[in-house]
Amino acid sequence: MYGGDEVSAIVIDLGSHTCKAGYAGEDAPKAVFPSVVGAMDQMEIDDPESTENNSGSGVDSKNNVRNLDSDKKKGKCKLYVGTQALGYRRDHMEILSPLKDGIVLDWDIVDSIWDHAFRECLLIETKEHPMLLAEPSSNTQQQRERTAELMFEKYKVPALFLAKNAVLTSFASGRATSLVVDSGGGSTTVAPVHDGYVLQKAVATSPIGGELLTDCLLKSLESKGLTIKPRYSFKRKEIRSGEFQTVDLDFPNTTESYKLYCQRIIASDIKECVCRAPDTPYDEKSYSNIPMTPYELPDGQTIEIGADRFKVPDVLFNPSLVQTIPGMESFADIAPSVRGLPQMVIESINKCDVDIRRELFSSILVNLLAVQSSMQQLKERLEKDLLEESPQTARVKVLASGNATERRFSVWIGGSILASLGSFQQMWFSKTEYEEHGASYIQRKCP
Amino acid sequence: MANAASGMAVHDDCKLRFMELKAKRSYRFILFKIEKQQVVVDKLGLPTESYDDFTASFPVDECRYAVYDFDYITDENCQKSKIFFIAWSPDTSKVRMKMVYASSKDRFKRELDGIQLELQATDPSEMSLDIVKERAF
Repeated sequence: MYGGDEVSAIVIDLGSHTCKAGYAGEDAPKAVFPSVVGAMDQMEIDDPESTENNSGSGVDSKNNVRNLDSDKKKGKCKLYVGTQALGYRRDHMEILSPLKDGIVLDWDIVDSIWDHAFRECLLIETKEHPMLLAEPSSNTQQQRERTAELMFEKYKVPALFLAKNAVLTSFASGRATSLVVDSGGGSTTVAPVHDGYVLQKAVATSPIGGELLTDCLLKSLESKGLTIKPRYSFKRKEIRSGEFQTVDLDFPNTTESYKLYCQRIIASDIKECVCRAPDTPYDEKSYSNIPMTPYELPDGQTIEIGADRFKVPDVLFNPSLVQTIPGMESFADIAPSVRGLPQMVIESINKCDVDIRRELFSSILVNLLAVQSSMQQLKERLEKDLLEESPQTARVKVLASGNATERRFSVWIGGSILASLGSFQQMWFSKTEYEEHGASYIQRKCP
Repeated sequence: MANAASGMAVHDDCKLRFMELKAKRSYRFILFKIEKQQVVVDKLGLPTESYDDFTASFPVDECRYAVYDFDYITDENCQKSKIFFIAWSPDTSKVRMKMVYASSKDRFKRELDGIQLELQATDPSEMSLDIVKERAF
């Protein structure tokens, strides 16, 4: 048992798109930054031109990370973490993500992200704060033990807890039983939660998330001859009042991944501004005459977006649409196995015990951050599609939190409240327990 | 133990009153609330009170747990009763309260031995008499 509730715990939700970190008990996370990092070979760093501009946010993984992986190649990289460090273009800097489908692939990058959250954003001594981490439902035993090792050995935390994303979202909406439909940056997950347990066998996932939709929009615009210039690639100045001139800049050493990272930021904003979920399945014919919506790009160029406004969000319901977008051919390999949202929901519920299906149908909690601005329409569309496809006896009820902050940070908020409860202090996996029983004890403490 | 359970304690009085409802049928219903990090009895309903009296006892913007002893007559004209557990978590209540009640429910329900059916309600329609009847039969 960890008895110190006088120091507040730290809550971290490392999603595939953004990392949310902050103090337990607060309403929203203090730090929100991208879950990707910029990586540069140590060799390039020696290049005098780029050393000048190294900002303080860079984390030298070679010195700071106790390399559990002993991955020699990665050990020679300098990693840049945080919105500011990533906003600065550097020659040869590659953008890397530590996660795939929510699961950690690269621990050095995760470590650098945690480190950034603790030292640069929250400015805390990790050995003084219990740590609650949100984890994906599909996290393996190995991943969880690895997390415990890193937290106790490297960060010397006094106590740790791993809470499942879906459970936190469900609890924060007042339900111990629900079907949590979470469409985030990198993927969409449908997870049934029953009495606070995730029913692992019935969890459904698909790689369709906000990022894929952003890419669809980006490629579709490119196929129409519209290029989105990354912010670093031009300078814009006012030559006379109200009159601007754009001068293109050339940086031949910029990596493709960094260019894409910058284009995605813009494309994602276009998506949030103009995209709307259609009421009925999208088809090319009926949307061909849809009025165009203008959008002004950062370089001053105004583009017009028509059918894509509706086509892109519809991908969530009908993934095969992706294949009709030029430049998205790579998706074809996985396309046959990917289901649309309503099918995922029904498949997941059908894998659960018959006794609880009815209850799951009546509390479907959606958190569709893939297109945040069109959440309400997406919710209504899902409800409509499910009514058509679910058994007659089921009372289908799709719910979404009305408050945008609560939606965006539902997992983090759930963790924040839980970790701040006086009664929860006895639930932590403490350092003493770790030393006594080892990392595998996490399975007992945080089932 | 469920993942991310709150560790909330349960006051002995809850179990005692529940036993009285179950064995002696001294009450029609019991409302419970969480106060000072434990679950305590909030309100007791007399055996003569109706389902409407029961639903009217819930606060509109606060969470509660409740048990209700539901009497009904089967198609074979047989008098029966079932004990319902209801988790009331209105949409209008604060997130903190929803989180506390949802994360404490599993543990609390286990303390009450003899619950036959369970409902979770976020608005009155989800615990209407029709739904209770439908579930009981």
